[in-house]
Amino acid sequence: MAQTTRRTRGTTHRGQALVAAASAAALLILTACSDADSSGDGGDDDPIVIGISLPLTGDFSEPGKGVQRGYEAWAQMVNEDGGLLGRQVELKILDDQSNADRVVADYEALIAKDEVDLVFGPFSTRLVVPSARIAQEYGMLFVEPAGAAAEVFEQGFDNLFYAAPAIADDHYNYLAEHILAMPEAERPTTVAVASMDDPFAQGTAYGLRDKLAEGGLEVLVDEVYPPNTTDFSPIAAKIADSGADVVIGGTQYQDAVNLIVALQQLNYQPQLAAFSTAPTNPEFSEAIGSKTEGILSPTGYTPEAAWPSNVDFVERYTEIHGNPPGEDEANAFTTGQVVAAAVEAVGCAEQGDCQQQLIDWLRDNEVETVVGPLSWDATGKPQGAHLMQQYVDGKIAIVLPEAAAEAAPVFPKPEW
Amino acid sequence: MTGSLLIQSLILGVLLGGLYALLAAGLTLYFGVMRVVMIAHSAFLILAAYLAWFASSTLGIDPLLTLVVTVPLFFGIGVLMQRLLIRRLRPATLTMMSVLLTFAIALFIEGLIGFVWGGTQRRIQLPYSSASIEIFGARIAVVKLIAFGLAALSLLVLYLLMKHTRFGQALRATIQHPEAAQLVGIRTDRVAGLGFGLGLATAALGGTALSLDATIYPSLHWHWIGPLMAIIVVGGLGSIPGAAIAALVLGVGQSLLQVPLGTTWAQTIFYVALFVTLMVRPQGFFGGRLAQRF
Amino acid sequence: MPNASSTLATRSRGPAQTPADGARRSRRNRQIASALALVVGVAVVAVFPFAAPDAYVLSAGVVILSYACTATSWNFMGGFTGYISLGHAAYFGLGAYGTGIIVRDLGLPSFLAWALAGLAVAIITIPVGIAALRVRGASFVIVSIAFVLILLLVFQAWGSFTGGSSGLVVPRPFPDLMRPEHHRVFFYLFAALLAVMLTLWWAISRSRFGIGLKAIREDEDKAEALGIPTRNYKLVAYVVSATLTGLAGGMYALWFGDLDPIFQFSILLGSYMVLMALLGGIRNLFGPLVGAVIVGVALEIFKLEFGDTQFHLVATGLLLALVVLFMPDGIIPAVQAGLRRFGPQSSSIREMTAAELAERNAAAGVSGDSVFSGGPTPTPTPEEKR
Repeated sequence: MAQTTRRTRGTTHRGQALVAAASAAALLILTACSDADSSGDGGDDDPIVIGISLPLTGDFSEPGKGVQRGYEAWAQMVNEDGGLLGRQVELKILDDQSNADRVVADYEALIAKDEVDLVFGPFSTRLVVPSARIAQEYGMLFVEPAGAAAEVFEQGFDNLFYAAPAIADDHYNYLAEHILAMPEAERPTTVAVASMDDPFAQGTAYGLRDKLAEGGLEVLVDEVYPPNTTDFSPIAAKIADSGADVVIGGTQYQDAVNLIVALQQLNYQPQLAAFSTAPTNPEFSEAIGSKTEGILSPTGYTPEAAWPSNVDFVERYTEIHGNPPGEDEANAFTTGQVVAAAVEAVGCAEQGDCQQQLIDWLRDNEVETVVGPLSWDATGKPQGAHLMQQYVDGKIAIVLPEAAAEAAPVFPKPEW
Repeated sequence: MTGSLLIQSLILGVLLGGLYALLAAGLTLYFGVMRVVMIAHSAFLILAAYLAWFASSTLGIDPLLTLVVTVPLFFGIGVLMQRLLIRRLRPATLTMMSVLLTFAIALFIEGLIGFVWGGTQRRIQLPYSSASIEIFGARIAVVKLIAFGLAALSLLVLYLLMKHTRFGQALRATIQHPEAAQLVGIRTDRVAGLGFGLGLATAALGGTALSLDATIYPSLHWHWIGPLMAIIVVGGLGSIPGAAIAALVLGVGQSLLQVPLGTTWAQTIFYVALFVTLMVRPQGFFGGRLAQRF
Repeated sequence: MPNASSTLATRSRGPAQTPADGARRSRRNRQIASALALVVGVAVVAVFPFAAPDAYVLSAGVVILSYACTATSWNFMGGFTGYISLGHAAYFGLGAYGTGIIVRDLGLPSFLAWALAGLAVAIITIPVGIAALRVRGASFVIVSIAFVLILLLVFQAWGSFTGGSSGLVVPRPFPDLMRPEHHRVFFYLFAALLAVMLTLWWAISRSRFGIGLKAIREDEDKAEALGIPTRNYKLVAYVVSATLTGLAGGMYALWFGDLDPIFQFSILLGSYMVLMALLGGIRNLFGPLVGAVIVGVALEIFKLEFGDTQFHLVATGLLLALVVLFMPDGIIPAVQAGLRRFGPQSSSIREMTAAELAERNAAAGVSGDSVFSGGPTPTPTPEEKR
C-alpha cells in the first residue's frame, strides 16, 4: 500500500539506527548460537567425535550415500568392539550438496566450531582438494576415501592420505596390459573415449586411453561432457559412427547409464566396453535394463577378497544391510581403518600436536585394510593397482589380474 | 563428418527442436498476454517430468498416461497463478516484479522437488527405452519419436486453437493490442488467465515428453530456461510462430554444431543468437512491433 | 548526514514548506541520532573479529559481509534505475576468476590482480550492457540470466584457461597467516570495500546523475522527454554496478581460494543479491546491508538446523515471493512506517513513486486501464492525510 511506503527525512535516520541495531543483534545471535553447542574438551570417557562432510544431495549423492553407509558401518563395528582407545566413536556428518563452497564451510564448522577430534574426507576429487586445504591449515590429519585424481597429490598437502589401492590414472593398468598383450590379429585397433569433465573420471579414462594409444591403437573419438549433461545422443552418435572396437567411458554414475542406453539405442556393438565407477554400483544393472553382459570396470575392492579384516567386514556389513558392501562403502571403511590404526598406535585422538604424530606415523607405516595392505609416498599417493571387474553371466566377477581372477575375461564382449 | 552422422544429427536436431518449439510457444504466450517473462516455465516442465517419473516408477503405469492428470492440473495452476499472484502486482512495475515472482516460484518448485524426491538424478526405465528404428540410414530411438510426436501434436492443437476458435481470436487480439481488444468487448483479464493456463499446459506436455528419454534432477530447469528465453527473443517476444521457427532453427543448429564443437560449446549457439538478435534486430526476427518496447 | 534516499520529489520541495522552527530542532536531533547509529555500526564491525568465539563464526561474518558487498553493488543498478538483474553472479564470477587467472598467469601481486580484474569486468560489461539495454525491461532480464548461464558453460568447457570443472586455486595473498588471522584480515578488507561502496552510492544518490537514474526508475518515458540521456545513464550505472560486484568477487576469490564454475556462476547467488537488496529496501542506502545481514544469518541458521535438505531453496523462494507481493519496498520502509506511529509527526514532506501514484489514481478512477503502462499519464493530486 502507498501508505506504508511514504517516508520523511527523519525516519531514514531511524533506519540507520535500525541497521546498527539489527547488525548488532545478528552478530549476537551468531555468537550465542556457536557458544551453545561447542563440544566438551575431551575427557577420557567422552566419545571421540569425527567430523565428515559428504555429498548426500546433488551430483555426487549416489556414491556419497555409499560412503556414508561405509563410515557408519565402521563406527558401529568399532563401537561394538569396545571403541577406539577405549572411547566410543561418534560421527558428525554434514551434507555439502556436492558443492565445493559448502564443503569448506562444513569442515570449518566441524573443526573450529564443533572442535571434532578427527576428520574423515568427503567424496570426489572436486571436493577433496578444498577440504584438504582447510584440514591442512588447521593442522589436521586428512585421510580421504575418494580423491583419486592425480592433481590431488600435486597440491603439496602433507596431511593427506588416500585410502584406496591406486590413483585414478592407474585404475586401468591391468586392462591396458591385458589388451596390449593380445596377439596382433585379435587385438582391437580403434578406441572411442567419452569422459565427464571431472578430474577423477578423466583420470581413469585418459590413463587407459594414453596407454592404448602408446601401444598403437588409434583414438577415433575423444569427447568431454560437462557433469550436468543429460542428452547423450549426440556423443553416442559420434561413437557409433566411428565404429570403434573399444569404448572407454570416464563416468561417475548416471552419465554412464545414459551413455550406455544411448549407445544401445544406436545399436552400437563394441568388442570391449569399459566404464569407471557406475558398474560397481549395485543399482547399475537394473538401471540399464540388465543389458550389462561384458561391461568392464576398475574396482579397488571386491567382497570376495580374502584379507582378514575384509571377511569380517563383509559378514557384519551384510548382516546390517542385507547385501555385501560396494566399492564406495569399502573405501569409506578403509578410511576408518587407516585412521584407527594410527590412533591406536600413537595413543591419542584430539586436535593439536596429536594430529602431527598421527600424520608422521602413517607416513612410515603400512596399514592392513579391507582392500589389502596400504602404504603411501610423501604426497599421500597409495602404492598399488586396481582390479578389473566384468559382468560375466549376469554377475560381477574379478577378471584381472590373473592372480586374483574369479573368472576369465570375456572378449569380444557379447551384444547388448 | 560422414554422411550418415550428418543425417543422424539433422534428425536429432529436428526432434529436439520440436520439443523446444512447444515449450517456447508456451513461454512466449505468457509474454504475449501478460508481458510476463515466466522464469518458472521450465521448473514446471521438470515438475511434470518428475510426476511422470514418480507415477511410472511407483504405479508402474506408462508415463504418457500421467498427461491425463498433469495437463488439466497445470492448466488450473496457470489460471490461478495469473488470477491470484500476477494480477496483484503493480502495473507500472509488472515486468520486473513478475520476473522476480516467477523466479521465486521456480526456486520454490526446485526446492520442493529436492525436498520430496531428493537431489539424485532420476530416469524412467521403460521396456522400449533402448529400442530404435532406422530412417534414411539413421537410427532413431523410439522414445525420441514419441516425444517429438507428442510435441508436434500439441503444437498443432495450439495452432488450431489460436487460428480457428473464438477464444483463439480473443487471445490473439489481447496479444496484439490489449486496449483495443477491450474496446471491442473482449474480457482481456479472463483471456489472459486462460492464456496463462494454456502456457503452463504446454509445460506439462513438454515435461512428460522429456521424461521419456532424459535424466532429470531438481536444478535441471536452469538448463532449459536459458535456451528457451533466447528462442523467444530471437523469434520475437510474443510471437508464437516466431518462437516455433526459431526453436527449430536453433535446435537443428545446436545438434549440427555438436559434431565439430562438442556438447558444451554447441549450447552457446542460443546465447550467441540472443546477443546477435538484440544488437541487430532487437524486436526479433519474426516478431512484430510489439517486441520493440520490451 | 543528509538523507541518502531523497528523490526528485523531496528535492524539489525542500524544507521551506515545513514549520521552520520545529523542523530545525528535530533535524539536529536526527543528525545526532544518525551519527550515533553510524558510530555504533562501525564499532560493531570493528569489534566483531575479536568478539567472535571461534574461527567458524568469524568466517560466517566474512561471508555475510561479502553478501552485503554484492547486494550493495547490485543496488547501483537495481536501486537507482529499477532494472532488476538476476544475473549479477556473472560479474561476481568474472571478478573472482579474473583475479585468480591474473595471479596464476601473470604472477602479479594479489591486490594488483584484484584491481585489474575489476577493470576487466568493467570492459566486458560495456558490450553486454549495450545489448541488454537495447530494449526495455524484459530483454534486460533475459540477457542478465543468459549471461550467467553462458559463462557457466564457457568456464566449465574452457578447462585449459579456467581450470574447468575441477576448479581454480587462487594463491593466498598472505600465505603466512593462520586461518583465523586470515579471516580477520579479510573481514576488515570486506568492511573497507563495503564502506567505499556505501560512500559511492551516497554520493551518486545526491548527484545530478543519481537524480537522472531515479527519474528513469520512476518513469523512463518522461525522463527521456525531460532530456535525460537515459541509455547512457543506464549503461554507466550498469557498468559501475557490475564492476563493484566484480571487485567483491575478486575479494572473495582471494579470501576463499577455491573457485568452481558451478558456484561462481550460480543463479542462486544472483538471486540472493536481489532478495537481500529487495528485502532491505532498494531505495535505501543501507537497505542491501540490512537484507544481507538478515538473509546471511538466516542461511547460516538454516544450514545448521536443516543442513541435509533442499529446504533452504523453498524458504528462499517463499521469502522472495512474499517480499515481491507484500513488501516490494523492503523492510526498512515497512519498519519506519511502524515506528512513525509512535514517533513525532515531524514533517509533512512526502515521497511517492510514480507507480504508487498510478495505482492510487487507478483505484480512484482517475486513469483508465494502464496494465501495459500505455494508459493516460497519471497526474499527482495533492493530498494531505496526516
